[in-house]
Amino acid sequence: MPLIQLENVNFSYDKNIDVIKNVSLSIFEGEHIAIIGHNGSGKSTLAKLFNGLVKADSGSVKVMGLDCSDKKQVYDVRKKVGVVFQNPDNQLIASIVEDDIAFGPENLGVNRKEIAERIDFALKSVGMEKFRHSSPTRLSGGQKQRIAIAGVLALKPSVLVLDESTAMLDPQGRKEVLEVAKKLNQEQGTTIINITHYMDEVVNADRVYVMSNGEIVLSGTPQEIFSDREKIAKYGLELPLSTTIADELNGVGVNIDGDVLTEEQLSKNIENWLEGLCK
Amino acid sequence: MQVEVKNLTYTYSEKSKDLATRALDNVSLTINEGEFFGIIGQTGSGKTTFVQHLNGLIKITNENSSIQIGQFKLQDKKCDYLGLRAKVGMVFQYPEHQLFAETVFEDVAFALKNFEPNLSEIEVQDRVRSAIEMVGLNYQKVKEKSPFELSGGQKRRVAIAGVIVAKPEVLVLDEPAAGLDPQGKKDFLELLHTLHKEFVKTIIIVSHDMNVISEHCTKVAVFSSGRICAVGTPKQVFSDYELIERLNLDLPTTAKIIKKLSAKGIEIDCDLTVKDFVRAIKDKGERL
Repeated sequence: MPLIQLENVNFSYDKNIDVIKNVSLSIFEGEHIAIIGHNGSGKSTLAKLFNGLVKADSGSVKVMGLDCSDKKQVYDVRKKVGVVFQNPDNQLIASIVEDDIAFGPENLGVNRKEIAERIDFALKSVGMEKFRHSSPTRLSGGQKQRIAIAGVLALKPSVLVLDESTAMLDPQGRKEVLEVAKKLNQEQGTTIINITHYMDEVVNADRVYVMSNGEIVLSGTPQEIFSDREKIAKYGLELPLSTTIADELNGVGVNIDGDVLTEEQLSKNIENWLEGLCK
Repeated sequence: MQVEVKNLTYTYSEKSKDLATRALDNVSLTINEGEFFGIIGQTGSGKTTFVQHLNGLIKITNENSSIQIGQFKLQDKKCDYLGLRAKVGMVFQYPEHQLFAETVFEDVAFALKNFEPNLSEIEVQDRVRSAIEMVGLNYQKVKEKSPFELSGGQKRRVAIAGVIVAKPEVLVLDEPAAGLDPQGKKDFLELLHTLHKEFVKTIIIVSHDMNVISEHCTKVAVFSSGRICAVGTPKQVFSDYELIERLNLDLPTTAKIIKKLSAKGIEIDCDLTVKDFVRAIKDKGERL
């Protein structure tokens, strides 16, 4: 059974403009999914559908079999699907880090002893144990996002949705957040859904969905998605820079074989080409 | 206009014993006219505090510090800040958050009317129209719209129109492309080059995106803990691997590949733009 399943979902904030058009998708346990698309393509609305922050106008959204449009079930859905948004300053509410993380489980009526354990677990997962008694206002952007993730982890979710969670961070902060997500995915089997504009983040995903004007227009592995150069341009996306450089090299007669998505692949290919010339 | 900053020191909450934080420590930097200048450094390294000094949003408090931009001496108590701000335009992160007027026209016209109160209504209209067209929006279509009806990318363009309408000679942008989608980012950088060819003589851009810096900037300054620890061309700055790593910064993609190849004994000498990198690889192959 898929963890998240959408069937023919439609949604609009305003009756005249369809934000999500007839979207169907299935996301399975332990997957690392990337969702990309131009500004206004409906990516963030999709994230809100995943945990019932908005309700589909038609079609069905199911999370582990629970129906997101059912008021009685939506609270259980939110325990399963945690979302971390773009701006860390909008998500932290308490004046002490541990209180902020405790907020979610406290609301669910989790007992004191277990809350303490969950805080330990959440802080350890994001590598922020040292900051348990700090004030969130004194943390860097990357640290704040890690605390926001910890707040979500304290609810023991099965799915972590990152909705452009790295957009406002510096390269170091971005690296920290991505490493935490990768670790959760690999070590704890948490399903990761990363909504992003950074093509180099997409390269590491198992599968990618491309959205444009409210529809899913492409899906597949990163390799499949990026091999269709025409569609990438058509949907306002870009190739990873290493892929662009490989294309340009091919254009001037430097033969780069195979698909290049990462810096490692590109440098290896250039090395091979140069070595080939020496022989 | 040349930007000349000498011994700039700034402390937040200077009078408080507990909260005083030194944000800039004896920073000196000259940015020549015509430069497309990049400023990089980790969050909290002083980049934003530095650029906010350039149009007097933060005033010089330290008596040994001075900033001269064209004829404006910012350390002077009598400095004409209004005149300065017309010449040094500032675009912040998420500039769309600064929109406030009821129509796009009013929003763009606001600063112009403040800077040049003697303009006739027709002159204001002409200037607003050309600013809106310059950022790639359709004047007739958007002028009567509320800025809040527009898409994110359009809002950002309107906010920039409101800055360039005053025809600044120096344009300072703090993380201007954050949150834009790839196409939006590309269009935006093209817009900066268009402005640079027109009346904006110097562009100063703060960015975390090292590929933007290596592709577009003529020079870069690296900030760390309130000081400048390197200034030079992108090629010079990003060839100091030890420094970049110590400051937890990233290398541009081209520099990363050059570094990887160098570890295999293949030396590539080029500027860090994609175009020059491709040329250098091709040359290297031809010489073999």
